[in-house]
Amino acid sequence: MIDMMPISFLFFAGALLIAALPKGSSGAAISLFIPIIAGWQVYQLPAGTFAEIELMGQTLEMMRVDKLSRVFALIFCIAAFLGNLYAWHVRDKVQQLAALFYSGSALGAVFAGDLITLFFYWEGTAIASVFLIWARGTIGAYHTGLRYLIIQIMSGVILLAGAAMLWRETGSIAFDLMTLNSLGTWLIFLSFGMKCAFPLLHNWLQDSYPAATVTGTVILSAFTTKLAVYALARGFAGTEILIYIGAIMTLFPIFFAEIENDLRRVLAYSLNNQLGFMVVGVGIGTEMALNGTASHAFAHILYKALLFMSVGAVLFRTGTSKASELGGLCRTMPMTAFFCLIGAASISAFPLFSGFVTKSLIIDASAKKHMVLIWAVLVFASAGVLSHSGIKIPYFTFFGHDSGKRPKEAPFHMLLAMGLTAFLCIAIGVFPDPLYALLPYEVDYKPYTPNHVVGQMQLLCFALLAFVVLMKSGLHPPEIRSVNLDTDWTYRKAAPSIMLSLGRGLGELLRSFESALTSLTKDSLTWLERTLGPEGGISAGRPLGIMALWIVILLALALIVGYI
Amino acid sequence: MKEETSKVPENLPITGRFFAWFTDPAHAKYIIGFLVILCVGLFLADFTYKKYGHFEAETYKGFYGAYGFIMFTALILAAKTLRSFINRPEDYYGSKAIDSEEYPEAQLEKLEHSHD
Repeated sequence: MIDMMPISFLFFAGALLIAALPKGSSGAAISLFIPIIAGWQVYQLPAGTFAEIELMGQTLEMMRVDKLSRVFALIFCIAAFLGNLYAWHVRDKVQQLAALFYSGSALGAVFAGDLITLFFYWEGTAIASVFLIWARGTIGAYHTGLRYLIIQIMSGVILLAGAAMLWRETGSIAFDLMTLNSLGTWLIFLSFGMKCAFPLLHNWLQDSYPAATVTGTVILSAFTTKLAVYALARGFAGTEILIYIGAIMTLFPIFFAEIENDLRRVLAYSLNNQLGFMVVGVGIGTEMALNGTASHAFAHILYKALLFMSVGAVLFRTGTSKASELGGLCRTMPMTAFFCLIGAASISAFPLFSGFVTKSLIIDASAKKHMVLIWAVLVFASAGVLSHSGIKIPYFTFFGHDSGKRPKEAPFHMLLAMGLTAFLCIAIGVFPDPLYALLPYEVDYKPYTPNHVVGQMQLLCFALLAFVVLMKSGLHPPEIRSVNLDTDWTYRKAAPSIMLSLGRGLGELLRSFESALTSLTKDSLTWLERTLGPEGGISAGRPLGIMALWIVILLALALIVGYI
Repeated sequence: MKEETSKVPENLPITGRFFAWFTDPAHAKYIIGFLVILCVGLFLADFTYKKYGHFEAETYKGFYGAYGFIMFTALILAAKTLRSFINRPEDYYGSKAIDSEEYPEAQLEKLEHSHD
């Protein structure tokens, strides 16, 4: 029975159970239990399509299981478990329900075999996840959540419009490989791109993730964007434009991340950069590249969650995640610092850590195709990753300048979640074969060759050396309390100020119209009084004669009107 | 760097004391020395195996090291330049933005490191 039911329903059932139970640790326990059962189910599921529903002449495929959907579903279950473990202390039911609905929707979307099912789950992720932002309960979070929700819902609406157009064109709503040759497919592509944080559509990510709760950001970081990567891999593998979009995505966030002060926003930029690698892999579209995308998404979800967890733990203990306020915390939070370093080494792709065995599949796939520029950009972006996630996050939080803060070590459940995640990051790095076995295609790749290991170590160590030189010479930009402009400026500042000045202009126009009307009325009244009033020219002097004259004129008019 | 405490307080956990060693400016020379030796070693390692690659540049000795050093420096300097254009005060987006508000205390467990 259970294996014929969509996996997402397990999460929804768990959420309803939490809603029914009284507040307490039972909710947190259910949140842990559900992803374990779901993960086991996903691992056991045979390939094929089931849980089909006939609806208005169309078949909705709720469960399409193949190697691509399975690897994403599996990491989603692991991420849900680790995220919920990290959030063990949270007794807020809204967050517990949101986390389960959100991860369940993401799983549902991954298994969706048609665009309508995909749409429902797509919107499900949007609506459920915004509560992880609103749960912070501040006015800033409320406004940020609204902006986030508008963009996420818009992405869903565009997806639905695209699906409808595609259905009119082809008569099918199946979610399979598409080509960009009609407005319908372009709309679907745009919808995926919004969720995937394509350049210029990206800023919802950096705007909203730092606004969520301590634990909410960890959960947010895993699902939405990787669901979009999955959707691109399913629908647009081998679409050349993605190579260039992805390359730009790897590049521009590294500059922003370098000068950003809020470390959770630095990680959001870094997340954007990592998505770029995956998008390039989808664009190249070869078996090796798609394996690279899937495995990199898998590894990335873990090390990104780990980094968000460590910065979250610091926020939990100190009340801030701003680099300018932190530093030297390794003294009293050594375990958190240690796990953060493992996350940093993994994302920087040091040998023996997870990023090393996954990112290289994508970079090598680009080299195999002799795309020299793309390859050079990806290698540069790899050094860039080291700068913000590898160095900046751990250095300015736990080492560097001593902020004088001596917070207590993170609570046990947070350390446990970080420890497990860190363990997986290293396990994948040291033994990549079990992960490789899960990938959509057979892997014919050896990450540990002298060429690759020495090359990567040179890249990273010389970049570290450059960091030391820049710090010593004072050229490295200091951490300062500030914000940086990004595309959200257009709708947070420019558009409101344009609307405001338009409104002011209109108001001004109305006011001058009103005053013109007032003065006209006043002038008319004055004139009337001057002419017809008791002191007026007509009334003055000869009242009787004038009166008689008016009566005659009126009688004449009445006669004319009466007889004509 | 100037406010760095060179003396490690007694009450730190062992791991904390271990990490604190790295933050001591007096020890920076050892760390930098180690890094330099590592870099030289990695450069020399390029002579011990046959380098291959899809592009000619990859076969040059020390290519990745040079690329990493130059591009990292370029990145930092470019980011610094970018900052001068896009940097704004923290309250730029007004009071309804998370940047200018405190994280709600009730959701945190702000505890100090205890001495026992």
